[in-house]
Amino acid sequence: MAKQVLQSTINGEPVEVLVQPYETLLDALREELSLTGPKEGCGTGDCGACTVHLDGKPVASCLMLAMQARGRSVSTIEGLSDNGTLHPLQDAFVRHGVPQCGFCIPGVLMAASALLAENPSPTEEEIRYGIAGNLCRCTGYTKMITAIAEAAPATAALRRA
Amino acid sequence: MSTMKTTRDVKGVGLSIPRPDGPEKVTGRVQYVADIKPRGMLHAKLLRSPHAHANILRIDTSRAKAYPGVRAVITAADIPQLKKKAPTRAHAVLAIDRVVFVGQPVVAVAADELSIAEEALDLITVEYDVLPSSVDPIASMQPGAAPVAEAGTKADTSEALAHSAVALAKSDTGPSKAVNVSQQARVQRGDVAKGFAESDLVIENTYHVPMMHQGYLEPHAVLAEWDTNGLLTLWASTQGSFNTRSEVADVLEIPENAIRVIPVECGGGFGGKIRALCEPITAVLARVTKRPVRYVMTRREELEAGMPAPEVIIRLKTGVKKDGTLMALEADTILDSGAFSGTVLAVSAVFLGSMYKWPSFDIRGSEVLTHKPSVAAYRAPGAPQTIFAIESQMEQIARALKLDPVAFRQRHLISEGDPMVNNQPWQSNGATEVLKRVAEHPLWKSRAEWVKSNGGNGTKRRGVGMAIGGWLGGLQPTGATVRLNPDGSVSVLTGQVDIAGTNIALAQIAASAYGIDVDRVRITTGDTDTAPMTGLSAGSKTVYTVGAAVLEAAQDARRQTLEIAAAEMEASVHDLEIEDGRVVVRGVPDRAMTLAQIGKKGNLYMSKVQPVLGVSRPAFTKQAPGFAAQLARVEVDTETGEVTLRDFVVIQDVGRAINPLAVEGQMQGGSVQSLGMALTEGLLFDPASGRLTNPSLLDYRKLTAADLPNIETIIVEVPSPAGPFGARGVGEPPIIPAPAAIANAVQDATGVRITELPISPERVALGVLAQK
Repeated sequence: MAKQVLQSTINGEPVEVLVQPYETLLDALREELSLTGPKEGCGTGDCGACTVHLDGKPVASCLMLAMQARGRSVSTIEGLSDNGTLHPLQDAFVRHGVPQCGFCIPGVLMAASALLAENPSPTEEEIRYGIAGNLCRCTGYTKMITAIAEAAPATAALRRA
Repeated sequence: MSTMKTTRDVKGVGLSIPRPDGPEKVTGRVQYVADIKPRGMLHAKLLRSPHAHANILRIDTSRAKAYPGVRAVITAADIPQLKKKAPTRAHAVLAIDRVVFVGQPVVAVAADELSIAEEALDLITVEYDVLPSSVDPIASMQPGAAPVAEAGTKADTSEALAHSAVALAKSDTGPSKAVNVSQQARVQRGDVAKGFAESDLVIENTYHVPMMHQGYLEPHAVLAEWDTNGLLTLWASTQGSFNTRSEVADVLEIPENAIRVIPVECGGGFGGKIRALCEPITAVLARVTKRPVRYVMTRREELEAGMPAPEVIIRLKTGVKKDGTLMALEADTILDSGAFSGTVLAVSAVFLGSMYKWPSFDIRGSEVLTHKPSVAAYRAPGAPQTIFAIESQMEQIARALKLDPVAFRQRHLISEGDPMVNNQPWQSNGATEVLKRVAEHPLWKSRAEWVKSNGGNGTKRRGVGMAIGGWLGGLQPTGATVRLNPDGSVSVLTGQVDIAGTNIALAQIAASAYGIDVDRVRITTGDTDTAPMTGLSAGSKTVYTVGAAVLEAAQDARRQTLEIAAAEMEASVHDLEIEDGRVVVRGVPDRAMTLAQIGKKGNLYMSKVQPVLGVSRPAFTKQAPGFAAQLARVEVDTETGEVTLRDFVVIQDVGRAINPLAVEGQMQGGSVQSLGMALTEGLLFDPASGRLTNPSLLDYRKLTAADLPNIETIIVEVPSPAGPFGARGVGEPPIIPAPAAIANAVQDATGVRITELPISPERVALGVLAQK
């Protein structure tokens, strides 16, 4: 099969790259664009480690073909911080000691930032459901929930700015 | 070991300091094996057996070999070192003549692209003669069952020794003549028959815990490359780079110093990444192709053919007097090891009989081989399963005798000096203190109110349950160095793989022991070429043993620093102190040298001052048991059988919390893994075919944030005599009690006693129905 040209906006930059027609968005990001922040934990959409934003909505990039992102906007964990300044969510995750093995963290942060974009001041239960598609095996989620709740006001302020 | 006094507190032990690699992890910059891609790298795939037990009649790889982009296709015949009687799973690199579990690797492929390697697998033909299989462990022990191991294969007991340094007397253990029983153990004390005869209450149950996958989110991955001199480099996701090096060297029959294992960031292990799995075959593919080769397992391969925790079946019979006096305990434990030996039989026996002071006991254990993936460690291997049995049993005794469950346990709980079942004395531990904190907890004290609070209406019933469990604590010789740099900063080097945040704790230990703020300490995990020999990140022993090495090395470096300063300043070493990055003479504030001045002298051309290099390589033998109790408030829907967890508390003796933030993270994470065992997890094998029926994370349910409340942590500090600053192991105790705590809470709520995990809605609802 011949490769196809994928044109899309990735982390705010226009990108043009050759991909296989059967290649997933996750593989294209990781293998063709060296954006290895999104992880493959299962390849079947069950663990959330590959979560990225497609036009601002969280998606499992392992369940999409790369070509489905044609003409659309994709954001990965690499695009969450602003020129070296940690996003309030990232900063809160560090301070609360959330990352242990760290493998789930990029996906959780993308799910959490999508949640806060839609619901700037979620309740604990809304946060729990907001990241229910992301498995974490190290933390037990408690510190994650605290960090997301704490980062919500600063994230809202950042969006207004 | 003694801890040196400093005149002022430095920023070090006891502070909640976030791990310094946090920013790398939250930005997605940190690299795992699957993120590394050297030029010319090939991708590996394995063709795995679809049968639980079959003879391999013929393998045809010709079409795969001819496929464009395929660089190597190999079978066992291409690896002359392989032996039919593989002593471990790692040695069974590819199947020879016979497959013994579904998912066993048969043919390996390396290709330019992953998709080409996948295509190539479809072009390989393997003809099998399917044989009868032994899938269920009980059936596998019966006469006439299909044999799993090649006759004469030795049992592998290294796992038990690595994890908890528990050993039973030699005469107690040995192979059995029964088919597929690969190890047996028995411990006895007193007259059990007499004990039961004199008992007023005898309770007997059979507890059943399925195989479970550790569930580390990063699947196994390795990248292998050989240089032209025959030196092998492995970038590995491992819990112990030196162990990986030894196993690969042993399997491939090459010298250990011809292998360099670089421990890449490990995306979780929990015991599943101790033993070698895919490293040898990837190294072989790299050798054959003379190219770097990367192999990453899929989640399905992990679930079907990883190294899960064993299935455990425990028949437990206890006898007590009316007043609660313990009389006798008898148990038969069966651990299903899958297709290769390697369970922790001794751990199970120790915890069944050693938690409480039973005057007589007879505990028999058998390790059984079946045609399933072979097992490995899973966080406190054997302990959650065993504690599920004994703590469920203690609860039933207390309820039957109308005794307070905590007070009943307190009366019989072991303390320092009491003999374990193997007659070794219990080391100093905080079990009593942990149980006391359960009794004092508001959730426990208000349990009657909680049970009543549903108003007696509808189908919901509420209950409270608790359980306590322990871990003996692992030991392993280890090494560390501490250097003073020319700018006065300090560098610590070990080979310790940091998964949970242990490196920051080790740096804090170095800071406090040397007398410098932790901001001035940098710790590095070296590879097997550069780091001193370091043990596994397993057995809850990183801070306990590597921490001790770092402590001693930092004390050594401090001593050297003070000696240099004493000579330079013509002062007595006893009058010197390290303060604010300077060595000062006590009481003479202007007589001082900076650490940078001392560090520089050790690195100056023509200098006569030796560089500061603190070294330690302890191999101590004293374990530090760690105990944790858990307390759960549940709500049970008696119609659907659904158990909702409302509140959960973990109370744990950690000796000394070197970094409370990291300790809480361990307690919360361990608790949720324990709750997963209790409520949802289990590998389900079809007993006829041996195939896994739930090979995805949709069907093998791990707990999500939406399933859980916040996990409350209560840190108890009963210092260990030998640990650095009194620390004990932290990682394993919190995974132990929840299955029993939840089962006890469900009984409190509904009267239903669940003896098989997971405590699924189906089991609870059926239990409720059976009561009617």
